[in-house]
Amino acid sequence: MNIRPELTNHQIGRSVPRLEGPEKVSGRASYVHNLKLPGMLYAKIFRSTVAHGRILSIDVSAARMMEGVEHVFTGEDVKTIVPNPYFGPAFHDQPVLAIDKVHFVGEPVAVVLARDPYVAAEAAQLITAEYEELPAVFDEVEAMHSKAVVHEELKPAGTFPDLKHLAGRKDTNIALDYHLRRGDPVAGFAQAVHVFEHEFRTQQVMHVPLEPMVTLAEPHHNTIIIHTASQSPSFVRIEIARLLGWPENRVQVKVPHLGGGFGAKLYIKLEALAACAALLAGAPVKVMLPMEEQFYTITKHASTFRIKSGVDHEGRLLARHCEVYWNGGAFADIGPRVTQKSGFTAPGPYDIDNVSIDSYALYTNRPPAGALRGFGIPQLVWAYESHTDIIAHELGIDPIEFRRRNILRDDRPQATGTPMTDAAVDAVLEKIAECMQWESGSRRKSDDPTKRFGRGMAIGFKASISPTTSVAVVNVAADGSVVLQLSTVDMGQGSDTAMAQIVAEILEVAAEDVRIVHPDTDVTPYDMATLGSRSTFHMGHAVRLAAEDAKRKLEELAHAMGFTDHAVWQPRDLFRRKYGMQAGNVIGVGTFIPEYRSPDPENGQSDKVTPFWMIGGTGVELEVDVETGHFRILRMINVADLGTPLNPRIVETQLSGASMMQLGFTMFEEMRLDAGQVTNASLADYKIPGIQDVPDAIENEIVAAHQSNGPFGAKGVGETATFGVSPAIANALFDAVGVRLTQLPLTPEAVFMAMRAKEGAASGV
Amino acid sequence: MRGFELVRPATLEEAIRLLDTDDPTVRPLSGGTAIMQMMKTGIFKPSRLVSLSSLAGDHSAITLDDKGFLSIGAMTTLAAVEHSQVVLQHAPLLPKVMKRLANVRVRNAATVGGALAHGDPHMDLPPVLAALDAEVIAQGPGGQRRIPVADLYAGYFETVLQRGEIIASVSVPPRNGCNSVYRKTTTRTADDWPALGVATSLGRGEGVLQHVRLFASAATERMTRLGSAEAHLRGNRPEAKLLEEAGRIAAQEVEVIDDAHGSAAYKVALVAVQVRRALHEALQQGSEQ
Ligand SMILES: Cc1cc2nc3c(=O)[nH]c(=O)nc-3n(C[C@H](O)[C@H](O)[C@H](O)COP(=O)(O)OP(=O)(O)OC[C@H]3O[C@@H](n4cnc5c(N)ncnc54)[C@H](O)[C@@H]3O)c2cc1C
Repeated sequence: MNIRPELTNHQIGRSVPRLEGPEKVSGRASYVHNLKLPGMLYAKIFRSTVAHGRILSIDVSAARMMEGVEHVFTGEDVKTIVPNPYFGPAFHDQPVLAIDKVHFVGEPVAVVLARDPYVAAEAAQLITAEYEELPAVFDEVEAMHSKAVVHEELKPAGTFPDLKHLAGRKDTNIALDYHLRRGDPVAGFAQAVHVFEHEFRTQQVMHVPLEPMVTLAEPHHNTIIIHTASQSPSFVRIEIARLLGWPENRVQVKVPHLGGGFGAKLYIKLEALAACAALLAGAPVKVMLPMEEQFYTITKHASTFRIKSGVDHEGRLLARHCEVYWNGGAFADIGPRVTQKSGFTAPGPYDIDNVSIDSYALYTNRPPAGALRGFGIPQLVWAYESHTDIIAHELGIDPIEFRRRNILRDDRPQATGTPMTDAAVDAVLEKIAECMQWESGSRRKSDDPTKRFGRGMAIGFKASISPTTSVAVVNVAADGSVVLQLSTVDMGQGSDTAMAQIVAEILEVAAEDVRIVHPDTDVTPYDMATLGSRSTFHMGHAVRLAAEDAKRKLEELAHAMGFTDHAVWQPRDLFRRKYGMQAGNVIGVGTFIPEYRSPDPENGQSDKVTPFWMIGGTGVELEVDVETGHFRILRMINVADLGTPLNPRIVETQLSGASMMQLGFTMFEEMRLDAGQVTNASLADYKIPGIQDVPDAIENEIVAAHQSNGPFGAKGVGETATFGVSPAIANALFDAVGVRLTQLPLTPEAVFMAMRAKEGAASGV
Repeated sequence: MRGFELVRPATLEEAIRLLDTDDPTVRPLSGGTAIMQMMKTGIFKPSRLVSLSSLAGDHSAITLDDKGFLSIGAMTTLAAVEHSQVVLQHAPLLPKVMKRLANVRVRNAATVGGALAHGDPHMDLPPVLAALDAEVIAQGPGGQRRIPVADLYAGYFETVLQRGEIIASVSVPPRNGCNSVYRKTTTRTADDWPALGVATSLGRGEGVLQHVRLFASAATERMTRLGSAEAHLRGNRPEAKLLEEAGRIAAQEVEVIDDAHGSAAYKVALVAVQVRRALHEALQQGSEQ
């Protein structure tokens, strides 16, 4: 069965250009923003202006009177079709529109529908609300004990078994407390010759997908179609069906191209509001956020990480205690998963016998936080790799040498007890050392006395969220052409291309000839979501299984049709012989769920906590202007263990893209808040890196590795290059000018003030 | 919906007549890059926008007169200034400044008139044109007048333009052997609005500094002439120590404000450094010629 014989079996590992490239660069790709339906109404959200308050009244009369306004709805209207209109992946804490109280500045309180989006926007400005203000809490550490309590009662969704015990808990902002114990930390610290303790903080930032969030809900006789820019169509279907009390098959979720997601478009966002508004209005409703309103929808957790380590006289880590506070904002979203599933990697890729972790998901009166490229890992690596660098310097051990003494090697168990199988921590570390010529110490010097050169590095790792399921369907038409139906969302990461390569490899066609059906829950099967770098591994397996299933069925058909020799038939010959004409299909199905064992609720131990580990590190060379605190990155080296790359070129763009994104979070980006109000909610004042901010050189290195349980030896890579960037830069700054920054972002002013404080201390001022 | 009226007068005179009103919700519209932003955020709600787009034909010329004065029509886009050979020859600093002013999309739409009239202190062109001794040609109900760019600003987002007055062009005098430098400091991304802008123009004769212009912006409530630092430099030999002192004096005299770009304490320190560096750079340019 050779359609293009010259390509047989060379589909994997080939840098197939992105299948959707021509469509996108020629402006033909369709997005939900472009979609218009007859009779469609535009929605504009009226948002809370207070951080925490009881709603006394909402006056929508002026808005309703405005010419061109079709409807104005509040939480009370939503209740008429959804009696309990709260949603969320971990907790049912988020109302479609505010009910009784508001929890943060920007929470949706009412919605205006009009045929003209400008009419809707102007009418929304005529709505007023009165609140009885309640005390608010914004800081994650204060939230642990504050009198201000964001939610009266915790309402776990019931989806995750380890959250069930939280049901009904009152007077607390702790949405989840996660604990891990390994060995005997008390004894470990008692034996230590040196003990180091530090606190590191990260700021709240936003994903900034260039396509802002958008959903169009289209009600029909007894079904609803939801066109949405979502990373998790299957979850949207389940959650909308649950809210409406409908079976899943009456909800159809369709996702065309996405203009970036990065975790912002996960689980359920605008879909509940769009669906309720459409059903109430009996018309299609489009909710599309301007860039500015994304800042009130989902963000990345601010965090505080207190880390303490005990070291022996040879520079071996004996014990580590990690205390992490995650600022989840007003709704839990997926924050409790971040707290746990990323929380257990808090001690870093180090072989430490005695470990304790206490990780807390906290509610505060800030805009909600959820998943963002790295799922909490960059916050953790920022802390533990800055801490590692400090320890090495204080002990007078070279930072790479110190890591060599302590990293997890071979199959040694990580803090959970799961072995680090196929985890090339040492290879990543050594590759960074090699690229930076670390040992020979070839350090650049500047002729300019106002410039100082510095270099730094950091390594980190991540577990894949587990257990999760993917299903795929491969449909072979009667002419032998192949369609792949899957609910993985290609939001720019190149998954369509990689999945087509897998099908092509097995069915012996060209990747370019495989057609991908974009998510449509009526035809594409279940997938947990496109998140956490899980698709290559999980969906990759499902697609592989589906293609193998199709291939087996074709072979069976060939056999039944009397073909014996493999080389002499083409799929179209089989269909023709069986049906007497070009007719029929062969459908292959694949389902994949990895092995998993739940951690012991007492101590967090499990020997199968993740199906694979992602390892990444970054080396940075920079130059600091000692008079202004500005610094320029001369060289950024990203090294990753991603198993065997399915498509090397795409993988490389994932590495450079992820590292640039994290560079923005490290140097520039920060949501500034004043009494809970975001004061820079626009791209004019929330600055993301531009082309001139790209380091002089970015080098991406893939270490030779093979993920033995992965599809064709591959594993995920979308987040790996985010891990090391922040601490590598901070460590390089320390190397250059001797100041240690413990709070992101690393602004020129922060560097300058730290240098000044150091001079002051030195001169006794 | 309230909406607003958009009018497109065909002549400058008609535009002036339409703008000759006390109503602050009536304003000219050029490239729209600043005004649309204010409308989107609800800071400015116009009742009428007087689009100057129909005037572009007559007011977007770049010309050089026989005395060496460069005239740039108010409707000239920043991109046109960036790519003009005449500008490159006679005011080479201007194209250089454009490279880091906003981005290509903004420069393709934004106009010189808008860049001068907007009055946001976080703008790059005003200090540059002021240091070049440029003048604005303003046309109003009472006729035409020339306003030095150095005197154009009355306060935060406030110009001295009067009711009905439109910027028609800007006039840049010949360089006369002076060297000019603009140093833009951003504290966030490279293409950000400046946190501090320092512009200088220096002319030497007989071993001393004779012509000195020094302006700071962005860190200040409005563009500020650094008069004491200028006085300290004028008539003296440009030695390293003098430049260092000028930086320090500048930092003392300038009134720096806290904003999203940084604290006043930090930006004061930046003033001292960037003034000194700007002076050095201008002198170095001079000695290279
Ligand atoms: C993303 C972005 C980044 C930017 N970055 C920078 C930067 O780095 N540095 C920088 O300097 N600037 C920056 N800007 C600002 C930009 O330079 C200004 O928006 C632009 O110069 C304004 O020109 P315009 O023609 O678009 O003015 P408009 O928006 O049309 O008008 C601006 C104001 O001037 C008035 N006006 C316009 N023309 C005239 C006239 N002929 N006479 C009298 N009044 C007039 C208008 O009524 C209005 O009040 C940035 C802008 C954006 C959107």
